[in-house]
Amino acid sequence: MSEAGRAVRQALVLGALAILIAAAVHFPLIKRFARGEFQETFFQAAEYPGVRMITLEEAEDLWRTGMTAVLDARAEELFAQGHVPGAQNVPALAAGRAGYALPAYLSKTPRGMTLLVYCEGGDCQSSLALARRLHDAGFRDIRVFSEGWEAWTRAGLPEERSEKREEGEKGDGQK
Amino acid sequence: MVRNKTALLVFRIVLGGLFVYAGIVKLLVPLDFAQNIRNYQLVGQSLAFIAALVLPWLEVLAGAFLIAGVWKRGAALAVSGLLVFFIALTVVTMARGLDVDCGCFGAIDRKAGLSVILEDLAMLYLGLCLLFNRKK
Repeated sequence: MSEAGRAVRQALVLGALAILIAAAVHFPLIKRFARGEFQETFFQAAEYPGVRMITLEEAEDLWRTGMTAVLDARAEELFAQGHVPGAQNVPALAAGRAGYALPAYLSKTPRGMTLLVYCEGGDCQSSLALARRLHDAGFRDIRVFSEGWEAWTRAGLPEERSEKREEGEKGDGQK
Repeated sequence: MVRNKTALLVFRIVLGGLFVYAGIVKLLVPLDFAQNIRNYQLVGQSLAFIAALVLPWLEVLAGAFLIAGVWKRGAALAVSGLLVFFIALTVVTMARGLDVDCGCFGAIDRKAGLSVILEDLAMLYLGLCLLFNRKK
């Protein structure tokens, strides 16, 4: 057999070995996966018991109660173009960075309060990233609406835009 | 391309060591790594899960074979192939403007970006030297 052929064959055998070892070592995990444990939700659900994924209907119901803090995980520009009425912008990108401090109003929010987190949509991951960050900060009831803004607008639910503010007049209008 | 015997031995140990290390930190936390793969938004839940279980073992095996000097060319091919894949993945991720933790060496938190590509290219150079050297 040519040298190239031998190298390819060896690499393929390495791949097959990796599959066999992985199957043997992670067998308990594979069994859990086969039972559908990691399908409905995200992978580390067991480590984040306070984080739950929710549907559009649940998100709308929660929003209508007015008892929940709604957090928008998208970038500032997207938030300004339109967001769920009453939502606060906490960009997940910034929140993921080391040394990031949560906004002051969140630091004062009781940790048991229900938080509704959403992002752009299409199974976006940034709301989940923010949810994990909030969980680490001690919050224990975080609902992640990963169908997000896309599904919200498609359903024709109310929208709110950030008003252009004068220089120096910073603040969060809808507390 | 480097042909020096000692240099090639050093290449094997360095590259093999990096791969064994990268593999071990990932296979210890398979679910973390699965989420990491998922965050790239290229594959679904099932494929991310399977890749998270198999990929670290392939890294460990290929790295260990490189260090041990067994099936050197096959191991170098596997490592180079993985690196080409990682580079392509990072380029695509940057082009899509995603902010993803690269997941390269487990817990070390780093964005998938240019530094990752340069690092992978350096490793790929070592891999290709090992793959294409003429010595038996």
